[in-house]
Amino acid sequence: MPEWTRERTWELLLAVILVGTVVYNASRSPVYLDVDNFVNLFRLSIEKVIVAVIMTFVIVNGEIDLSVASVMAFSACVLGAAYEAGVPFPLAIVLALVASAAAGFLQGQVIARTGISSLVVTLAGLIGFRGAARILLEDRSVGAFPEWFTDLGREDLLGPLPFALVLFLVFVVVAGVVLHRTAFGRGVFVIGDNADVARYSGIAVARTKVVLFTTSALVAGVAGVLFAARLGSVRANIAEGFELDIITMVLLGGVSIFGGSGTMLGVALAIGIVLNLRNGLGLANVEANTQTGVIGALLIVSVLVQNLLDRLPLRRREAEA
Amino acid sequence: MVRAHKLLAVLTCLALAAAACGDDDDSTSTDDDSGSEAGGAGEAVTIEGGDSMSSILLPKCTGIAVFDQANEGAQEAAEELGADAPEFLGPSTCEDPTGQIETMTNAATQGVDAVMISNNAGEQIQSGVDAATDSDVAVVSWDSPIPSGEGESLFVAQVDFDETGVVMADMALEIMGEDGGQFAVLSASPDAANQNAWIAALEEALTDEKYANLELVDTVYGNDDADESYNQALALVDSNPDIELIMAPTTVGIAAAGKAMTDEGLCDRVKVSGLGLPDEMREYTESGCAPQFALWSFVDLGYLTYYATYGIATGQMEAAEGQTFTAGRMGEYTIEKDPTRDSGLRVVMGPFTVYTVDNIDE
Amino acid sequence: MSTPAAPLWIRPERIKELSLVGVIAVALVIFGFLVDDYYSGQFFNRITTSVVITAVLAVAQTMVVVTRNIDLSVGSIVGVSAYLTGQYAAAHPDASPVLAVGLALGIGALLGAVNGLLVAYGRVPAIIVTLGTLAIYRSWLVSHAEARTITADSLPSWVVDLPTRTVVSVGSLDVRAVFFVVVVIVALLAAGMQRLRWGRRLYAIGSNPEAAAQAGLPTRRLVFGAFVACGALSGLAGFLFLARFGTITVVAGQGLELDSVAAAVVGGVSVLGGSGTLVGALLGAVLIDVLDQSLVRVPQVSEFWRNAILGALILAAVIADVAIGRRFRRRWSAEARPHTKVTEDEPADPAPALEASDA
Repeated sequence: MPEWTRERTWELLLAVILVGTVVYNASRSPVYLDVDNFVNLFRLSIEKVIVAVIMTFVIVNGEIDLSVASVMAFSACVLGAAYEAGVPFPLAIVLALVASAAAGFLQGQVIARTGISSLVVTLAGLIGFRGAARILLEDRSVGAFPEWFTDLGREDLLGPLPFALVLFLVFVVVAGVVLHRTAFGRGVFVIGDNADVARYSGIAVARTKVVLFTTSALVAGVAGVLFAARLGSVRANIAEGFELDIITMVLLGGVSIFGGSGTMLGVALAIGIVLNLRNGLGLANVEANTQTGVIGALLIVSVLVQNLLDRLPLRRREAEA
Repeated sequence: MVRAHKLLAVLTCLALAAAACGDDDDSTSTDDDSGSEAGGAGEAVTIEGGDSMSSILLPKCTGIAVFDQANEGAQEAAEELGADAPEFLGPSTCEDPTGQIETMTNAATQGVDAVMISNNAGEQIQSGVDAATDSDVAVVSWDSPIPSGEGESLFVAQVDFDETGVVMADMALEIMGEDGGQFAVLSASPDAANQNAWIAALEEALTDEKYANLELVDTVYGNDDADESYNQALALVDSNPDIELIMAPTTVGIAAAGKAMTDEGLCDRVKVSGLGLPDEMREYTESGCAPQFALWSFVDLGYLTYYATYGIATGQMEAAEGQTFTAGRMGEYTIEKDPTRDSGLRVVMGPFTVYTVDNIDE
Repeated sequence: MSTPAAPLWIRPERIKELSLVGVIAVALVIFGFLVDDYYSGQFFNRITTSVVITAVLAVAQTMVVVTRNIDLSVGSIVGVSAYLTGQYAAAHPDASPVLAVGLALGIGALLGAVNGLLVAYGRVPAIIVTLGTLAIYRSWLVSHAEARTITADSLPSWVVDLPTRTVVSVGSLDVRAVFFVVVVIVALLAAGMQRLRWGRRLYAIGSNPEAAAQAGLPTRRLVFGAFVACGALSGLAGFLFLARFGTITVVAGQGLELDSVAAAVVGGVSVLGGSGTLVGALLGAVLIDVLDQSLVRVPQVSEFWRNAILGALILAAVIADVAIGRRFRRRWSAEARPHTKVTEDEPADPAPALEASDA
């Protein structure tokens, strides 16, 4: 008898929705099943989905990181400002990544050492790092990046897949392995479930949190650099509001907001749903706000359905007893 | 548990396989070849209807009255020409440029014939424009151009941008008088190509002898947001207590500044001017808070943009320097090189109207 | 040796509120040196008119946050309420003002009730529900409005003039009507939260939901009520928004939810629930507005530095709160339980639940 755990039922539900979305979109728009369209669908949101993968870890850990979009902009602006100042481009990229990691490290330390809720600290980060991005570039935009860089962002690398998409696919697989098959990953789950129990079990709670927030910001930094490659120029106001979409993808993936449960497969499926839904609606000229409304409704309904499903196994077991 | 896992993997693969095995045909454009011939550069062409054209009118953002007016004009033109009404799509906020990039890229996938864009994304729009032109979508800009001019067939300019600077300087001179004084600019988004060009033109115009007594002390950005613009207007007055005028080359900014000055009883000290809509500014002009401001007809701008786009997309005219065309009720226009950018073509629509308490009710 | 106990009336909430007043005072002094003509009636007027909207939202947010929930849809509720009330007022210029305000409150309460239903009865986590309704309400507004904007001159003059009506004027310093009304409302609600049964029960639910349920409290009804109240207050904020700006577009109110959470947090409201006061939230909103408006007026600070400084200041305020708060909470808890002596060899703190939730 297969064990229908909460995670499995959720993943099945998501898979059904995903297939349904693709079929519906294909029926409405003749161009939908183009490979090009699918690549495009990822391309437009690739930065968000990469960050969603690492956000999974953060939320499973019982925390949240609202600052990711601002760190993306911050990293892109460090890149732009450094390049503008004459720094050789590869070094500018390194600087951007180091700056992002430092931002995450700072937040992680504050969260781990002072016990202030991550919602509050990363909210301050959201405001502060966006501000830092504005200080760097003010209202200018920096562009004219080396051609190899913008080609990397726009051209295809492996078959029809651009660099960022390849990166995402590799990342999601690696992240899935780390989350579900390593001791570190198990630690993340335990901390999210009950930080005190984790501490007494000998798991280095503070260190794990610092590592997670540093990595989260670093990945956001990578996303910022990829954004710069795709767009061909950077400004201080890019990626505004991205954190909402990213968090929605993770929550839709079945990760509990209270921490301690969730699967990478679920998040991957949820990413597929959100991207397909947005793309299909976009091609049908539904405007962005309504798209977000549909996704929001989907999120609520999914949890409601899951709550209902929760009651079923209980009844089955009682019937059998 | 293993079986459930496999079931899920199969389902996921099915979804991906459906994508991979999908049709590969590109959607075909529905335009091309009508009865009328393509005019060569220099040969005057009257744009005639008859062909269908699918298009998207892409403003900076929705929720701003002037863009609604442009839509009115475009719809009017489409009806006259017997073509499909343009889809009026735009991001809901003027602050985030990525919405425009997405719409542009989606347009390429949808295979529409043309996109008419008022560019709010600065240089970042380029990736979207390139995707569109790769798929044979005609890109025409209006109100705010694509900085590089690449991929853009034509820019339909409402007025000459340099002239805008002079018009603003003249209004400032008239309001502040011969003795001149200090004034400040309240703009829209720091990204907006048009506002930036107008402010640059204003600064350039101010170097002339005539305006020697006028001093521009500050430029702030309200992002075309009523909140932000309101607060910025008040902050301007607080930080620069000697200013006598707020010049806002944006309809949202000027209306917000007008309300701010009126609310706080500052109209005696600080006047408001710039580019505004009569409907939004009427009470401030009648009260004397905004004695003069200027604009052009956005309805006409939308109308002209549609006609020009139609002409290009249906092949009736070439987007080349020297090309003359007649656009319905608006008459004849000639395409010229755009002197305010490094490269790019433009068509200048037409006159400013300066509104005062005398003519505001028209 | 036992930790000296503080007198019972010095409760942690009062300390927090006093310390906020202190921080505001310090900020005013510092900015007084940096900005010319800082202490003017004019500046007081600026602050009081601009703070009312965020203050009402901070208070609304607090009512939900103390129950260990959150409402991210307040910005969208403000937008919907402002827009619909504006439409109504434009179409019925002779309608009574009470009706218009009531409409705004009602719309807000309705939208809040939807949130409350899903959270309290549907048992969907608040962050998920309100993330969803944030988008759903906004997209409804966009499709309802069909890109039309409410303009100031279509509104009856009583709406547009409202922000500048004063109750009393002292020189150039006005006590504006809206400010006065909001302060009264907050005071009444704050008293209710502290003294009335429903108020204390909200705190109980936030401190320990399981215990509250086991103690027989009607938790679902109370949480539902908190969301309705939050929605109604957000609707009121929407009305204030309409009066202040006159021009309402479909994006009105976007982003205000973050402001409300920031103000509540700075005001000492814990996102884990169970603590924080409405007065604290009001002071938090005032502090942030004072900082924001003051920074704009400091000539050396370019507008590009403002956000970064604001973020740092919020963080500083919260860290200060934690540092001060913990110290006093410990002393107060000791005093509240006179039979418990806090000695060095005492293994646990008298209020372990509170400490654990902070860690």
